[in-house]
Amino acid sequence: MRRYFRLHRIFIKQYLKRLMEYKVDFLLGAVGLVIAQAIQILFIGIIFSQIPKLQGWTFEEILFIYGFSLIPKSVDHLFFDNLWMVGYRIVRKGDFDKYLTRPINSLYHVLVENFCVDAFGEMLTCILLLGYAIPRLQLPFYWYTIPLLLVVVVFATMIYTSLKIMTAAISFWTKESGHITHMLYMTNDFSKYPVSIYNKAVQAVITYVIPFAFTAYFPASYFLTGSDPLFCIGGTVIAGSVLMALALFVWNRGVNAYESAGS
Amino acid sequence: MSPVKRFFRTYKPFTRAGMQELVAYRANFVCFFIGEIMSAFIMYFVWKAVFLSSDSDTFMGFTMEDMTVYLFIAFLTGYMTYSDGAFSVGEEIIDGSIAMRMIRPCSFEMCFLFKELGNRIVSIAIIFVPMVLGVEAYRYAVTVMIRFDPLCFLFYVLSTFIAYMISFYFNVIYGFMAFFFKNLWGTTLIKETLVGFLSGATIPLAFLPAGLAAVLNVLPFASLAYTPVMIYMGMYSIGEIFAYMGLQVFWLLVMMGLSKLVWNSAVKHLSIQGG
Repeated sequence: MRRYFRLHRIFIKQYLKRLMEYKVDFLLGAVGLVIAQAIQILFIGIIFSQIPKLQGWTFEEILFIYGFSLIPKSVDHLFFDNLWMVGYRIVRKGDFDKYLTRPINSLYHVLVENFCVDAFGEMLTCILLLGYAIPRLQLPFYWYTIPLLLVVVVFATMIYTSLKIMTAAISFWTKESGHITHMLYMTNDFSKYPVSIYNKAVQAVITYVIPFAFTAYFPASYFLTGSDPLFCIGGTVIAGSVLMALALFVWNRGVNAYESAGS
Repeated sequence: MSPVKRFFRTYKPFTRAGMQELVAYRANFVCFFIGEIMSAFIMYFVWKAVFLSSDSDTFMGFTMEDMTVYLFIAFLTGYMTYSDGAFSVGEEIIDGSIAMRMIRPCSFEMCFLFKELGNRIVSIAIIFVPMVLGVEAYRYAVTVMIRFDPLCFLFYVLSTFIAYMISFYFNVIYGFMAFFFKNLWGTTLIKETLVGFLSGATIPLAFLPAGLAAVLNVLPFASLAYTPVMIYMGMYSIGEIFAYMGLQVFWLLVMMGLSKLVWNSAVKHLSIQGG
């Protein structure tokens, strides 16, 4: 375990050296994400210029949920972005051989190899949104709020990461699965708004099938109102753990099925 | 053989290749499409909640029915006019394979254009027609009136085609510039979000402050999405339709001229190492 942490540090250090080489280029991704989020916020602002509440939610509450949704999303983006490459390129080109010849776990190696600074764009937006919304809301605060938040962030990130692991692993059989990852990943946008605005079918899907609702709306609504902790927090923990177990299973089966590309 | 006939005979194989490519990678295509259209559905639900929370039937002059049509037609227009055919130009300049294109007896941009048109022909059949039918069915279900206007639709198709051509040349220019940057993901994200916003695809330009909306209306971006969508919805009079389509043609000519300029200067500075 300690060896793996030490390796992670070395990987990040290597990555930062590469980063220094192309400083401006890497900032572009972060700038792009800030612009994308800013336009979405402007959209929410325009809506609230005409109505006082959106199905009972105030402007600040909506911003809080939106900002909250960016926490697990940006953490996953920052650390585990390399999974996209597995589905898009690495397996198809036969480059996955590299990971199998190293004396460390292949999944671990894929996960830590890259460190995506683009995610700082999402993190910055997230901090600005929460920094604006939290002082304007009367949030219930107890001694366990912060530790609970950390637990939620870990398991919510696991929901993102394990969905990516699972869909990336499909490429071991099909050679390419980036588009499947893209399709599932895009559903996360549903979690930015209160689940109550969707119809029953969409609610069921984002709660029980692709449980992105547990990455933002459910935990965020608990931190807003303090009600229903068992479902909101417990659901996130269960969804994160179940998906991760499933993801590890699929990945291991996939690695055994992997055939390199002919040269 | 007449030059026109010769022109089409030269580029027909590219069109066929574009069609075959889409059919061959249909699973990728479908997954990608589902991923993209989800944002339109999210917006639909958000608007539904807005209208439920509002006392009035209209939001800044748009009814719920208008808003739904706007959302899905804007998505469709953005989808049909999206162009990334010339995106690989930058890459080809770096690795030198552009030399192969330069010695071929055909124009490099026409190769891309006709390949993408082949792609679009398939998209019209499997995306465009079903979505327009879906939108019209929705309109009929809500208003119990056939709101489909063949004349508006005809102008919409024409306007969308011009929008596609503007988008194509705009992206040729972008393709040349992109090769100066390493983080293509980042620059593309910036380009696409800004174009999405400035073209009115994300938020109808009518919702923005009047001064800003007036400026954006004459910029080339409105020609990419807002103009065709407003024509589809019957928001413009015949006079306005001609005025805005004239503006579209103007921007198309500007983009074509600019792309020629960029191409010429790139060729002049191009040096390819032997390999």
